[in-house]
Amino acid sequence: MAVSTDTGSKKSSTGLMGELGKRFRSNMQTYTIILALVAIWIFFAILTGGACLQPQNVSNLFRQMTVTSFLAIGMVFVIVTGNIDLSVGKLAGFVSVVVAYFQANIWYNLIPNQPYVAAVLSIIIGLGVGVLFGVMQGYMISFLQVPSFIVTLAGMFILTGLILLVTQGKTIPANQAGFDLIAQGYLPPLVGWIIAAIVVVILFWNMTRSRQRKRQHGFELPSIALDLATTIFYSLLVIAYVWVVNQYKGVQVPVLLLAVAAVIMSYIANNTRFGRYAYAIGGNREAARLSGINIRRSIFLIFILMGLLAGIAGIVLASYVGYGTIAAGQGYELDAIASAILGGTSTLGGVGTVFGALIGSLIMTSLTTGLQMLNVQPAWQYLVKGIVLVLAVYADVAFKKNR
Amino acid sequence: MGTPILEMKSITKTFPGVKALDNVTFSVATDEIHCLVGENGAGKSTLMKVLSGVYPHGTYEGDILFEGQVQQYRGIADSEKAGIAIIYQELALIPEMTVYENIFLGHEIKRGFLVDWNETIRRADEMLKKVKLSVNPAAKVKDLGVGKQQLIEIAKALSKNVKLLILDEPTAALNEDDSDNLLSLLRDLKHQGVTSIMISHKLKEVISIADTVTVLRDGQTVCTLDAHKGEVSEPVLIKYMVGREIENIYPKRDHKRSDEVALEVRTGMRIARPLGDVLKDVSFNVKKGEIVGFAGLMGSGRTELALSIFGNPTGFQVHGDLLINGEEKHFARPEQAIDAGLAYVTEDRKAKGLILIQDVKENITLANLQEIARRGVVDGNAEVKVANEYRVNLNIKTPSVEQKVGNLSGGNQQKVSLGKWLFVKPDVLILDEPTRGIDVGAKFEIYTLMNGLVQQGMSIIMISSELPEVLGMSDRVYVVSAGRITGELPIEEATQEKIMHLATS
Repeated sequence: MAVSTDTGSKKSSTGLMGELGKRFRSNMQTYTIILALVAIWIFFAILTGGACLQPQNVSNLFRQMTVTSFLAIGMVFVIVTGNIDLSVGKLAGFVSVVVAYFQANIWYNLIPNQPYVAAVLSIIIGLGVGVLFGVMQGYMISFLQVPSFIVTLAGMFILTGLILLVTQGKTIPANQAGFDLIAQGYLPPLVGWIIAAIVVVILFWNMTRSRQRKRQHGFELPSIALDLATTIFYSLLVIAYVWVVNQYKGVQVPVLLLAVAAVIMSYIANNTRFGRYAYAIGGNREAARLSGINIRRSIFLIFILMGLLAGIAGIVLASYVGYGTIAAGQGYELDAIASAILGGTSTLGGVGTVFGALIGSLIMTSLTTGLQMLNVQPAWQYLVKGIVLVLAVYADVAFKKNR
Repeated sequence: MGTPILEMKSITKTFPGVKALDNVTFSVATDEIHCLVGENGAGKSTLMKVLSGVYPHGTYEGDILFEGQVQQYRGIADSEKAGIAIIYQELALIPEMTVYENIFLGHEIKRGFLVDWNETIRRADEMLKKVKLSVNPAAKVKDLGVGKQQLIEIAKALSKNVKLLILDEPTAALNEDDSDNLLSLLRDLKHQGVTSIMISHKLKEVISIADTVTVLRDGQTVCTLDAHKGEVSEPVLIKYMVGREIENIYPKRDHKRSDEVALEVRTGMRIARPLGDVLKDVSFNVKKGEIVGFAGLMGSGRTELALSIFGNPTGFQVHGDLLINGEEKHFARPEQAIDAGLAYVTEDRKAKGLILIQDVKENITLANLQEIARRGVVDGNAEVKVANEYRVNLNIKTPSVEQKVGNLSGGNQQKVSLGKWLFVKPDVLILDEPTRGIDVGAKFEIYTLMNGLVQQGMSIIMISSELPEVLGMSDRVYVVSAGRITGELPIEEATQEKIMHLATS
């Protein structure tokens, strides 16, 4: 017969450290990847004698990660719904050569001496090309039901061809004044500080508003110490970043653009019906369908969004390199996919964060630039990237198994 | 009782935060059929996973003795080698492979480096004869029914020279004929020297087949009963399982049915499919505040019927008129059916109902996010509030609404599924096998809830393969057989015999 023993649950540890621990455990994956990033930085800092942490190098590192990061934050949505997009690298490349073509050949004749108007028009055209391609691929994937792997693989071929057609095998300059600001511009230090101040104010305002709302609903409030600690931590991070880059040339325009895009995408993912539906579709397609979610529409929109982000990436790429080249965007799709996966996006769908993808992208870029600073041959750079990707995912798998 | 083939002594298995098994002792005699019963979450499946090596030696405390020897399995391969085979509720066959390939999958008969297919087929034929299944060994598993697939699983176990066969709810997805067939096979196997452990929620079956019954509750052994001494009966089992007595598991409700029709299918609904119609000439109606039972065998077309009125997500061609509250409706997608006041709780909550990797609150709000969203932005606080309401009202046992649904027990998952569809605030609720695979306590709660809903004027269409449930809960019964409605019975006239007769006609 039964032996009744009390197996009541243990009292949860309270206090700031206890709550920090709880938060840490529930977001283990994100924190693990951040720790990996810090470890990589420390590693390179030691090997380069601290050179890689100099303001100029930090500034360049963040500037270099922007193009693939735009692709990676869109890729999170695509992979979360259980799809894949192999065309984004070439799409960004195609957008960059189209933009370069217009910069070099069209505006020059139509609107001479209007560099800023020309730049704006180039941006519109770049975004338009990205969205249009997203619409076409999205339509085939969602409404014609052709698997995304195949549609985007075909897209990659087609875009490679289109790039060759537009460039005629030559390099097109896109370094006109005005347009170059997009990826090569820096904000004056004072503007950087003003932006930092605004971000800090928003962070604190958000915290108080969230607590207020919770109180209105009669929920238990998280400890004020914890909320304050988190907000202060993020504020210090922003301030430290601006302080470092201001020592070089100031806040980089493309990084600012990326930050804005990432915040918007993250908000869409976490707080909108559209975002929720994406995770639901990836989590269980049948359940999502029976819940009345219009799967085709959601996936169609996600590929349009991906196209838009590839458009932005292409514009930044053209401005960054200053040219439209035949090799533009080559292999970027793989970097974007790797970044998303490093950042915890599940290839099975249903799981992934925009923030994680950014960290993933930062790790990939850190490896590349760090190894370049050490004068390691490109061959070894690829090897290291591959090994880190596999190790990171293996660590995650092993960790989940033991839990 | 004969000598024990298996003894599990003082087994304790802890998961982070939960003691799933607490000092469990479990002993099985040679050549008996030993049933293991208990509510969902009582620890039955965990105990069997410890036994079969899914949880390897070292991850639990206690000893396993098989045929008198202490066993330390590192994985399923070890326990299989010792002669223990486990057949899960979710069948582990590969649909695209043939019967013989499936039977010998993982232990192929080889000649040199190659698989000896002729010998495989011959041996497969032999195994199929042992389980009294007459199918072509070269048939693909996907073309066979669930009942036959279950037998193929057993054939697969037999081909490994099994001594101890563990079946986890083998009849949950079977109709009555297939169930009887399976149970009589277990009796035959007993005489051929195969000992069986069967986990089941169907107490009638347990009583009819068990030599011994062990009851688990909250991770502990409550008692072991000897059927041959007349210790086993339904009230006794229920008492030990839930720790209290449930007098009637079908609670009474006051009738106040109206004659107003909530949902009607006229002029013969038909679902066309290239291989022949799934449904033919189906007409029925559901009145306000009524529970209408749809009885029939597995595969008779009841689920397809429900889906075809729920916006036809299967994509077949549906013909026929559907009226809701007297208005003619045509749904192209589930979204439109939900807007018109329908809700459909699927029979397969894991594969089609819930998103297991998401938490309780996200699952509950999924089908009606617009209710807690403004201009497309979801209000996280309102979401927690809604989810907590349903957690309390439906008595969902979970540490918090942030818990992943995959970590909950079957009964609680079903309650989350119900909560999700109640949040849609439907006029007509379609429940497809609402209590499949859940324990007596949770069943009773769901029945009570159903009564409360119809009293508030909701209409319920209940598809069920359990006849006592159909008879206990319905106001009216439609019987479906091979895609047709073969009969309509007022509850006063309905009996098990009449329904079975119509269901097989």
